[in-house]
Amino acid sequence: MYAVAQIDVDICSATSCRLCTQFCPESNTINYDIKRNTAYVAVDRCKGCEICVGICDNLAKHHAIKMVPITEIVEGYEMSKLGFHKF
Amino acid sequence: MSLDTLKISPGFESYMPKEYVDLVERGPYGRDVKVSEMGTFKEIIEEHPMCAGCAMTLFIRTALIGLPAPEHTVILGTAGCGRLVLSQASIPFIYGNYGDTNGVASGLKRGLEIRFPNQTKDVVVMAGDGGLADIGFSCVMHSWFRKEKFTTVMLDNEVYGNTGGQESGMTNKGMVLKMAPFGKKFEKMDMIGLAKTAGVAYIARLAPTNPTRIANVIRKAVLIAREVGPTYVQAYTSCNIEYAIPTPKVMDDAREVEKDRYGFMEIISDEAKAYLERIEQEKKAKAKAVAASKAGA
Repeated sequence: MYAVAQIDVDICSATSCRLCTQFCPESNTINYDIKRNTAYVAVDRCKGCEICVGICDNLAKHHAIKMVPITEIVEGYEMSKLGFHKF
Repeated sequence: MSLDTLKISPGFESYMPKEYVDLVERGPYGRDVKVSEMGTFKEIIEEHPMCAGCAMTLFIRTALIGLPAPEHTVILGTAGCGRLVLSQASIPFIYGNYGDTNGVASGLKRGLEIRFPNQTKDVVVMAGDGGLADIGFSCVMHSWFRKEKFTTVMLDNEVYGNTGGQESGMTNKGMVLKMAPFGKKFEKMDMIGLAKTAGVAYIARLAPTNPTRIANVIRKAVLIAREVGPTYVQAYTSCNIEYAIPTPKVMDDAREVEKDRYGFMEIISDEAKAYLERIEQEKKAKAKAVAASKAGA
């Protein structure tokens, strides 16, 4: 069991900083939904390094990302199942 | 090598993996993608086996966004961590023998110029500090002296991370590592100085603290290598395993090292500067013409 990043949609959609999408070392793991104006995590790709948490807390100061055990995530977005969302 | 080879033949769409279809339909091809757009298009890198929170992955990810024409680029690498992600990207990747990356790149660039006289093909060497400064050192230096037109990118993690932590030429003096228990006895190699001596047209040193800057530097380096001469980018990409940096602290370490000894530095020759200005002006004139034709229509 390991923890993956989870983004609070309410906090994230109030901003438009997009910093976590740029600082995540994994490609297409933190994606951005233009319609909802929020970042979201592909849970099957997240390796749980917590870089995005540091970026959101210290650089962006939004505190929108938390690490959550993978077993507690309900209906997480999985890229291998859904493919890249078409926004 | 070309966008045509990537496109799916009619009738085969439903048989191709989802990731591949996404890449063709929503990839970064044929347009200039910006770093701020990351997360809204399918990137050329797929899932890969590199460690969680690796700064090298972050650098390579943003560097590949900066490539001016990914569909016309060939990347060369060698043994080391970088190849683990480069071989999972939708860019032809040549896994050179240890030490000959820049020799192979020289031949490849010349060959591509003859084979595709009407197209611009970019060759980029992306290897670690061991592959370029230690084992591949002679080929690197000679390719610079010969003014070969391709980009050399050093992923400087200051250690042989793949083989258990031996010191490399780029390790700092006094650094104690798993396979260097008494500490390194010699100074870090001054590759920037050597590049300057060899007359490299564009030299940059950076740490992965600013994604936009990484993409811009790579874009400039590749563009200058097309016309002017060899270019060299040296990037600090810490090894969080061998240097025991907890993953949440990787960016703090990068910022610290950048402040301390790896600050952003750019050395650009007059010829290269003039070339970049010319491209910029041509781009502006083109945009103006497009706007004028739209207004006229």
